[in-house]
Amino acid sequence: MPELGNLALAIALILAVYSIVANIYGVRRNAPDFVVSARHAIWSMCAMVTIAVVVLWVALLRSDFSLEYVASYSSTTLPTAYKITALWAGQQGSLLLWTWLLAIFTSVAAFQNRRRNPDTAPYALAVLAGVAIFFLLMLNFVTRPFDLLATIPAEGADLNPLLQNYWMAIHPPSLYTGYVSTSVPFAFGAAALMTGKLDDGWIRSTRRWAIFSWFFLSLGNIFGARWAYEVLGWGGYWAWDPVENAAFMPWLVMTAYLHSVMIQERKDMLKVWNLSLIGLAFGLTLFGTFITRSGVISSVHSFTESGLGPYFLSFLVAVTLAYTALLIFRSKQLRSPAEFESYLSREAAFLFNNLILVGITFAVFWGTIFPVLSEAVRGVKITVGPPFFNRVIAPLALGLVFLTGIGPLIAWRRTTADNLVRSFAAPVAIGVATGIACAAAGLRQWYVLTAFSLGAFVIGTVLVEFRRGMNARRHMMAEPRAKALVNLVAKNNRRYGGYVIHVGVIVAFVGIVGSSFFRTEVKKSVHEGDSFTIGSYRLRFLGFTEVDTSHFASATARVEVLGADGREITVMKPAKLFYIRAQQPATEVAIRSTPLSDLYVVLAGIDESGQTATLEVFLTPLVFWLWAGGLLMVLGTVIVMWPNVRERAAIATVLSRSSAATGDLADLAAPGGD
Amino acid sequence: MNIRPRFFIGAGLIILAIGYLIGNAMRTTSEYYLTVSEVAARQSELGGQAIRVAGRVKPGTVNWEPNTLTLKFEIVPIPDLNADTAPIKPVVATDPVATDPVSFRVVAAGEPKPDMFAPGRDVIVEGELGAGGVITATQVMTSCASKYKPKQAQ
Repeated sequence: MPELGNLALAIALILAVYSIVANIYGVRRNAPDFVVSARHAIWSMCAMVTIAVVVLWVALLRSDFSLEYVASYSSTTLPTAYKITALWAGQQGSLLLWTWLLAIFTSVAAFQNRRRNPDTAPYALAVLAGVAIFFLLMLNFVTRPFDLLATIPAEGADLNPLLQNYWMAIHPPSLYTGYVSTSVPFAFGAAALMTGKLDDGWIRSTRRWAIFSWFFLSLGNIFGARWAYEVLGWGGYWAWDPVENAAFMPWLVMTAYLHSVMIQERKDMLKVWNLSLIGLAFGLTLFGTFITRSGVISSVHSFTESGLGPYFLSFLVAVTLAYTALLIFRSKQLRSPAEFESYLSREAAFLFNNLILVGITFAVFWGTIFPVLSEAVRGVKITVGPPFFNRVIAPLALGLVFLTGIGPLIAWRRTTADNLVRSFAAPVAIGVATGIACAAAGLRQWYVLTAFSLGAFVIGTVLVEFRRGMNARRHMMAEPRAKALVNLVAKNNRRYGGYVIHVGVIVAFVGIVGSSFFRTEVKKSVHEGDSFTIGSYRLRFLGFTEVDTSHFASATARVEVLGADGREITVMKPAKLFYIRAQQPATEVAIRSTPLSDLYVVLAGIDESGQTATLEVFLTPLVFWLWAGGLLMVLGTVIVMWPNVRERAAIATVLSRSSAATGDLADLAAPGGD
Repeated sequence: MNIRPRFFIGAGLIILAIGYLIGNAMRTTSEYYLTVSEVAARQSELGGQAIRVAGRVKPGTVNWEPNTLTLKFEIVPIPDLNADTAPIKPVVATDPVATDPVSFRVVAAGEPKPDMFAPGRDVIVEGELGAGGVITATQVMTSCASKYKPKQAQ
């Protein structure tokens, strides 16, 4: 079986090379047969990589320890679900997953473009195949998933206990999906540069890909944070570890990109900027893969010293140079005649939002690679920790939140004072009222007050927008409220889905601010029957329950939680597990989540007598809203991605006639391509 | 009127502000990231400074007091990575503890012992170097969750 895997990967590599040659030859010599055959080669490549993935999965499920990979990341006692997820637990497997996703996305892009974009699609597919070639070279020659062991062990080393977790099962595939799908818009951008077809065709053709990618990058980051929160047991969810940063940076750049392309579509501006952003996003996904595998930057969870580093770095440098050269080569054609007209315009708000997002990206990048830079320049490694990131990003985040409120409501080109007052009076009032209410409730930190007020302001702007659109429909179409609302969203899903995403981001931001500023912590060593308080809760240690299975031994502390009125709310069960195969302890935290605050109990230690438990308890306000905001972002993205209703154009005409005055509703009518 | 210069002013201000934030945060939050041997070499100048030290937990020195959440151990230099992965290991590299006298005591109080923490593992210790070569740690991190070798494989 392993031979089949190796063979499939070798054939996939050959097919990828062939598809480039056939695509380029076919499009240059105007020989459509070759383009068709290149497409078939891409589909066959995808089939080959799929076979390799299936072979590895079968080996994992059958516990075939003749494979080094299976012996390193699985065991006979590992639950079946984690045998499946072990596919991406290690270096070779995760690269195989990466390649598989890339092959699938390339195949889908080939299918979508079988009749569309005849001039550019072959180039884009060639670029995608080029990326696939790099990964297939790695899998064939450098980090081979199907290498055999000379002596077959009776038992595998087991999957790292930290990875034996639900969130770890879904976090890497989500993140990888987000990472890999940036390569489709990137490839079409590169194709636009190669062919000189520099209108916004490449953006329109890959709009859904960009949103898809952003969506999965968001999910990947949220799942990763959730995993850290539930598994790592330190009460937090984000530590500015290089690997986390590596996942965060492409998300920031894609967020900037999704906004700035709107300016190009509307105003034919920022062409170079958009092409640069998508190049940057793609480069950062490679960079992320590079730093997690090279060992160049020490991280709490990296696949260090694998020997892949130099290859990734070379590929990254080559891609960057080639892409930059293309941009310079086309720079004359990329000049745009349009100009910004006023600070008080949507394009200005979007431009500043882009600058801040890219600025945050740069700060994260700088903080991540600073140890390497300082060692190269000054001969000593200097590192910056979470305080650096918090200090730089916290104020920038406020600016971004502010622009999130401004951007959607302000008109394109320029806005009149009258219009400003009309659009922003209510939201500003909501923001100020929230600030006053928070201050009255005893909040004193200026940052928190500002953040909450701005958050309320943004949500206010969204409410105003929904109301305005709904009323327009009620008058024009004589629809009842609920129907008007549903139709409003259904027929302008990009715009209103976007608003829902904004609300999600703001809600998550409020959760982050609340949980960062107001977390309290108590550590206590307790005997059976001892109790102590945190916040309004009283916690009592009831004793241990011990469980032994063939896979692990565990001690669970039963902790009774009493409310302020002395009544029992629940019994929480934080635990220590000891994985027998891995000879490795693991901590299972107990979390009781409410919208107001999370009670988070860690069994930090058990003394040798087995009588005393040391509990570490965190009370974290508002962290619930981080996950709720994530959910809203998901909902909003689903609305944005929802297949569009044809009626849109007709509605649009009616709406634009109703209120051409502000120019805002005319936006509603803008058929956003697709 | 040409608005372009005014936009460059706005964009420039944002870029300057970001640059200022980064510079300012660098000054106040950076700390040395050193290996055990580097700490030994610069011990005199590092006293009282925030440092991060990468080292290996010396077997036989670990003392964990669960009631007070106090973890004490010694760290020694991590053997050369190349020596570690070379097909034929140099004889000295097999027992770095015996051949290398450099070590620092680490006292970490108030934090749970990380699950991945074990004698012989590589750790990153964050804290302050005090008198007598004792590092008072605020945090002990174990590295490489994705690439660990269980005991039986060693």
